[in-house]
Parts: sequence; C-alpha cells; structure tokens
Amino acid sequence: MNDGPLAGLYLHVPFCAQICPYCDFAVRTGDRDRRRRFVDHLLAEIDLYAGCSACFDTVYFGGGTPSSLEIEDLARILDRLRSRLSLADRTRVYLEANPEDVSADSAAAWRRIGIDTLSLGVQSLVPAGLSFLGRSHGVSDARDAVAAAREAGFHTVSIDLIYGLPGHSTAAWRRELDSAIELEPQHISCYQLTIHSGTRFGLLEQRGELTQLSVDNQASLFELTHRHLNAAGLQGYEVSQFAASPEHRSAHNLKYWNHTPYLGLGPAAHSFRDDRRWWNVRRTDPWQDRIKQGRSAVEGTETLDTGAMVLEALMTGLRTYAGLDLGRLRSRFGVDLIDSNLALVERLESEGLVALEHDHLVPTLAGLAVADGMASSFDISAPATAQAI
Amino acid sequence: MRNIRNFCIIAHIDHGKSTLADRLIQRCGAVEQRKFRDQILDSMDIERERGITIKSNAITLAYQADDGETYQLNLIDTPGHVDFSHEVRRSLMSCEGAILLVDAAQGVEAQTVANLYLALEYELELLPVINKIDLPSADIERVNSEIESDLGLDPADAIHCSAKNGTGIDELLEAIVHKLPAPQGSADEPLRAMVFDARYDPFRGVELDCRVKDGVIRAGMTIRLMHSGKQYKIDEVGLLGLERVPAAELGPGSVGYVLAGIKTVRDITMGDTLTDAARPATESLPGYKEAKSVVFSSIYPMTTDEYLELSKALDKLVLNDAALTFEKDSSAALGHGFRCGFLGLLHLEVVQERLQREYGLALLLSAPSVRYHVALNNGKSIYVDNPSYFPDPSTIAHCEEPYIKGSIMMPERYIGAVMELCRERRGVETSFNYLAVGRVEITSELPLAEVLFDFYDRLKSMTQGYGSFDYEMLDHRGTDLVKIDILVNGEPVDALSQLAHRDKARARALHYCERLAKTIPRHQFKVAIQGAIGGTIIARTNIPALRKDVTAKCYGGDITRKRKLLEKQKEGKKRMKTVGSVDIPQSAFIAVLKSDIDS
Repeated sequence: MNDGPLAGLYLHVPFCAQICPYCDFAVRTGDRDRRRRFVDHLLAEIDLYAGCSACFDTVYFGGGTPSSLEIEDLARILDRLRSRLSLADRTRVYLEANPEDVSADSAAAWRRIGIDTLSLGVQSLVPAGLSFLGRSHGVSDARDAVAAAREAGFHTVSIDLIYGLPGHSTAAWRRELDSAIELEPQHISCYQLTIHSGTRFGLLEQRGELTQLSVDNQASLFELTHRHLNAAGLQGYEVSQFAASPEHRSAHNLKYWNHTPYLGLGPAAHSFRDDRRWWNVRRTDPWQDRIKQGRSAVEGTETLDTGAMVLEALMTGLRTYAGLDLGRLRSRFGVDLIDSNLALVERLESEGLVALEHDHLVPTLAGLAVADGMASSFDISAPATAQAI
Repeated sequence: MRNIRNFCIIAHIDHGKSTLADRLIQRCGAVEQRKFRDQILDSMDIERERGITIKSNAITLAYQADDGETYQLNLIDTPGHVDFSHEVRRSLMSCEGAILLVDAAQGVEAQTVANLYLALEYELELLPVINKIDLPSADIERVNSEIESDLGLDPADAIHCSAKNGTGIDELLEAIVHKLPAPQGSADEPLRAMVFDARYDPFRGVELDCRVKDGVIRAGMTIRLMHSGKQYKIDEVGLLGLERVPAAELGPGSVGYVLAGIKTVRDITMGDTLTDAARPATESLPGYKEAKSVVFSSIYPMTTDEYLELSKALDKLVLNDAALTFEKDSSAALGHGFRCGFLGLLHLEVVQERLQREYGLALLLSAPSVRYHVALNNGKSIYVDNPSYFPDPSTIAHCEEPYIKGSIMMPERYIGAVMELCRERRGVETSFNYLAVGRVEITSELPLAEVLFDFYDRLKSMTQGYGSFDYEMLDHRGTDLVKIDILVNGEPVDALSQLAHRDKARARALHYCERLAKTIPRHQFKVAIQGAIGGTIIARTNIPALRKDVTAKCYGGDITRKRKLLEKQKEGKKRMKTVGSVDIPQSAFIAVLKSDIDS
C-alpha cells in the first residue's frame, strides 16, 4: 500500500461457538487448539504483507467471534501487526465480542492490550428475541456484559441489536430500544433482520415456516429506530449506525464507505486500494493451506471502472446521514452526477427523499430507507474522455 | 380416372374427424403400424395438443375394394374452425364428395350445418356418417332426425361407425367408392390444376398441393400460374402419401404435389390455376374468396435484440401461412415490432404459439383490434386497425365498425344466459328458433370487436361446453368509437392504447389499470395509473411508494457483493420499459395484454 489516507486493517476470526440461524458470514466452530493454529496462520499472513507502505490507523477484529480468542493470542496478533506493518500512533483497535465472553477480567485484559472499542453482539434485549435468534446468552448476561465493558473504561462500548423479527411490533421494539438506551452505550448498531438463502432462516422461509415482516412494517420499524435513537441523543450516521457523539462513530467502517484503502486478513476478508478490490478464499481450511504453503490467500480480484466506483459511492453515500459528496465525485472521477440525472434528482427531491445541501446529495430519513433503489436508479454514464480520440 | 375418389371430411370440431382420418389411413395400410401416431395428418404440435386441424392436409390412399379393383382415394383433411374457413373452401373445391361426420352423442352442430352449406355451394356429393356410436350417450334416433331436419339428408344413407374402435370403417370405404362420384375431366384439354395448399420445405422449396381438373402435369413442363402470370419449370410431381411418392405425371382428377423451384409461399396465390405455358387454358378454374384479416395485433419481441429473429421467423411463417399479414410497427414503450393481421383470434393464438415454440421467441402482443372505418370531416375516409393511427377525434365525422352475424346453437335451457351475453356485447336483431326439440339457435348481429374479447370462452362456460359458435362477416356499422390511453404517472404507454366503444371504455380502462397496479413493482414514489379518453380521466389506480428497500448491512468490507446486487437491479431496470420515470417490467405488459385473450 502506498502513502495516502490512513488505511484500515480488518482481521477475520471465523470461529463461533455455534452458527446463528441468520448469519451468512464465513464462520465455523472450532476448539481451542484449532483457534490457536488459526492464529499462527494469521500471523504468517501478516508476515506476507510485511513492509507494505500503507499506514493504518484502525485495526478491527471481526468475525465470527474474535472474543473467543485467548487474550495472549490477541496480544500476539497485535504485537505482530506493530512489528510488521506501519500503525499510526493513535490507532483505534476494535473487537467484536459475545456477551458470554465479557467479564470484568476479560474486559480489563482487552483494555490492557490496547482494545479501544468493544462491539457487543447483544442482538436482543428480550428473551423471546434471543431465543428466536438462536443466541445462547440471556438478557441479564447482555446487561452484565455492557456494564462490565463500561466499567473497564473502553473509549467506546457499542451494542449490536437485530430488529424486524417476524411479528415484531413497533411497541415492543420501542421498549427494547429504551432498554438499550438505559444501558448508555456510546454506540449502537441496529440491523434489520435480513433473511439470506443458505442460512437456517433462509431454509425456514423457503419451507414457508418463516415469514419476513411486510415492507411497510419494516419501514415503520426503520423510521422508529432512527427517530427514537436520535431523540435519545444517539445520533444516526448510517442506515444501521448510531453514536452518542461523532468521536464514537466507527472510524473503521467509514473507510468502507468512502473508498479509503483497507486490508483484510484471514479467510473471506476483503481488501481495497485505489481502484482494486481483492478477497481471500472464503473457507478456513483452504485459507490455512495456502498460508502454510507460504502462498497468498487471495482468491479473487477486480479492477473497478469509473462506473463501478461511482455506483459504489452512490450506494454507500446514500446510506449515510452525511450523504454523497458530489464535489468528491467530480474531482476524483470527473462525474457530475446531478447534471446527468436532473429529472431523477428533481423527482427524488419533490418526493422528499433527498436534498441537495453543500454540494452533497443528502438522503432524508425516508430516503435512507430506500437508498438501494435510489442508488440503482441513477444513470452513471462515464464522462467523455480524451481516450476516445 | 374412374378409380379416383377425391373427398374430404367435414365435421364440427371434436366430432372425431382426425380419428376417422387416422382409421382410414391405417385400414388402407398407408403407414406402417410402428410409424403410426394419433392425428397423423395434424403435423403441428399445436394441432395435436388442441385436437384441431389448422392446415389443410391431403393424403392418397390405395384401397382394394370388394369389387376387386384398386381405388386411389384422395383424402383432403380440412381445418375445423371458423377462422380457417378459407382453407376449407380450397379443400372443398378439390373434391367431388364429402363425408359429413356427425357425433352420435352431440348430434348436428353449428359447424356441421355451416360446412354442409359450403359443401353444397361446391356441389359436392354428401355422405352422412354417424361417428362415436360406441358411446353410452349415443342417441342415433335423435341424430337421424337432425340429419333429416337440419341437414335435409336421408338418414337411411348414413353409415354408422366408431372411428375409435374401427366399427363400420369397411362399410364406409365401400360407400366412398360406390356412392361418391369419380372425377371428370379430359387428358386432352389444356392443363388446368388448382393449387389448394402449399408448404415450404427448407430443402425442396415450396411444395404445391394441387388438384388436376383437365390435362396432364409432368416434370420438365413449364407451367404458368393463371392469376399471377408467373412461370415455373416443374422439377418433380408426385402423390401425397405420408411420405412423398414421385410419379411420372398427374392426370385429370388426380391430387398430388408439384415442385417447381418456387422460393416462398407468397409467390403463390392459393386457389390459383396452373396451366401449361406452352398450351395455356383460356379460362382459369373458378376463383375463391380471398382470406381477409379481421383481427390485428402488434407483436413485439421481449428484448429488442430479438427483433431481427422475430422478423426472420415471421418471414418463415408466412411461407406456410399465406393468411398471415404483417408490416413493421413500433412503439415508444416496446420498441420495434410488427403489426400483424389474422383471420381471427384462434389464428392469432396459433401464430403466437408457433413463433414461441418453433422459433423460441418471447413475445408481447398488443390488444387485438378489428379494422374500423373512419370518415373524416374533410370528406376522406380511412381504415384504422391500430390505435396509434386513430385520428384526432375533432377531425372525425363518424366511425364504423365491422359486424358479424353470429350463430349460437345450444340446448334450450341456456337461452336466457346467452341472450343476455349477446345483449351485453351490443348484439342487435337477436332472435332464436328451435332446431329440434330442446335445441335452439340464437342469431345475433354483433360487433366483431365484442367477440374478440373472451366471447367464445364465456359462451362455452355458460353453456357448460354445449354451446357452439359460428359467424360470418356482415358489414360496417356506425359506432361511437373512442381511443383509450393508459397513462403511467401522466405519460401514455402507447402499446396499451386501444380502440373501444364509448360504453365499454371505462370498464376496459379500469381492468388495465388494475392489472398494471398489480404487476408494476413499487417505486420510491407513488405511481398513478390512469385510463383516459383524450384529456378526460375515466379510471385510475395508484401504486403506493415503496417505503423500504435498503439492506441493513454493507457486508463489512465486501462492497463487491453489494455492488453486484445493485448492478443486477440496474440490469433488471434496463430491461424494463421506462415511462414517466416508472420502470414497467415485461411481466406487467404480459399480465395486461395476455388477459385479453385468456380471461
């Protein structure tokens, strides 16, 4: 990686105690030995990137359940990163954690090795929700975990919640949000349940045993989430992300959304730099095999043309409260999106879905809810270039 | 010549014509048992599936009669639907006799009578045959009385048979030999042969089926088509077995095929007379009625890149279907297509199915229309069969639409319902008369346009299948014609425009609006769908805005995955037709347009 904006580093830890029925990430179960062997390989993969020119200022342990790694394993990884790669002085380190794994001791240990942000997979604050989502922790485990994390003095404690479960009413979800607010996290991620094929829920849906909420009900819950959390001082900044103040926003995730370089290590991890994306083999064993042979684990790569870059910018930009930076599109890609989509933008404006503010195309709350459809409506014709001559 | 018999079988649909033909073919051993299949003369899939004959077909059978002589029996199979009566006429003109087939259970039906009149017009000798006598519901007494009263034939002459199990087939063959006349004609006269059918074969070119009246036709001869004046050198003549059997010559009275290096069926006018270019006849054989298109619809390919294929497919189709007409057409919503003329709705469906099946094309058809006569204020008058060409109403003096005389036969208990159906369809001069005890014929003068839309299906269902329908064209009559436009967010979708009587406009427009509302996906904004006559909205529905489509997660760093999803969506939108910034999927057009034929 070359010099430029500070890059992000993602480490994928694929292990989970059990596979959740909604999850379609690259995950697997594995015992302690297996996890240790995995870490050995992850260290070897870090070595492959030794001397890379990029400077990183975020390190994100995601998964999977990275909190299932032993503290010394996490420490080994961080040490290796510091010795092989260039990390900025104020590098922010994130760890996704299952409530079961959080205690006063583990939280203190994580703080000690330099974890700044703990992202807790609470998922639900009612027993019925937890059991539907196939989670093994209880509501009190979740509360205790948040309390312990806050006690340990992390810069940011974040909790993940899933809403829009079949039959989820606005009243029930509002109560659950209130419970979450009472826990005083500095950050909340509220993900609407998406049923993916290939998951347990996907199978149930196929069999007709599980029905998603109607789009209108989903929309109501979506609006409620944003209005309620914003009113409680947890300001939304993306479709599913809310922070008590700007400093608690996920600096790492922001890099995904604005074409900042990032390097992903571990199975299925994705990377981006300049106009290129690449990704590692998805399954853990083949990934390990490659690393063991001293080979790169990169399975695929793509080079983005301007159209793809602009579509990505639209797709991620319209998901954020800040909106799409039109000036950046012009300077970086030479594309004047508004010029080539005047009628569409006017219509979206008159429907109250977007506003043009300070050279940004900013979605309203109703617009955020239909960001995907809006993004795919734009005509992205590449600008005329000198290449044609 | 005295050992030749040219005959056809005329019958109401489903009275067992194809099965009887099968049995005669089998009995004469024209086809090996192992090659036999049911409805052997119906070569198209659609014919077999629907149990109807669409194209005429001829076969020569060698029959050794009880008198020890071998006869050449030329069976000319004719279609059994009103849409294809032009083919029936040509076939009849090639025959001296006809087997009039009546179902022993259903008795004489609308088409039995219609075909009888046709046969009489061509002075054919008629041989009544009662089929399906093996059915438990067979009522030979009643059928006998119908043959006498409705057809005016002597029931004592009727042969009783069951084509299904073979009973009475021998008697029938003997009757064909002894009761039907041999053809007349002279081998010394100049050649006159009538073309009654033509098929396109990619390897052999156009194969003409013809009936020789006078003279002899043989390979090497140069023939002239008396109508068109075109001349061709004959490569081969032969008999129409199930496989072609080349012959040295075809003499008077014969039925056979002619190959003469003709490139397309369009070079041939069906019913034209072949004569010897070296020694032409002075008079052609009696003409026939030209098949006229009465139903029009525009056919579009689902994807614009299939336009060329559609064009080629139509070119090929008309090689075999001279009644199909087409010309280029285009729609802002659906792109380039063809405006096609059909003999009727069944013909339209047959063409559509053949294009889809034989050429693998996915198609959209606009609402079928009849041809209207529009008199303008400036004294000129025009024909309009395409809503796009409907003139500004302020320039129109008056409009006329084609009327038919419909004849519906059914058991008397359905009179009330059918009379109501005729009234609802703007029928006038509706009356009924008893054909026999319990059987009634209703006649009504109906606008053809009213019959195009699910009339036949409604009739069939309200009479539990007992009703039969036949019609003949009458004339054009004054009508209060309007053009209905369908607007999506205020912009007209030209492919959905249609012409209709003012009284029917609102219901038709509402039907379209509702169908569209069900099939157009929700957008980020509310979509208004309206039906309008000029500037007046007569029907409307709304599609509420889609309130949520955004996915919760961006899949971490896997932006590729999400972008691919959007790219797919974009691709999908590209394939939709955009009208008034509303993306209309093909399925919406299908749902709307298909319902006209199906519902």
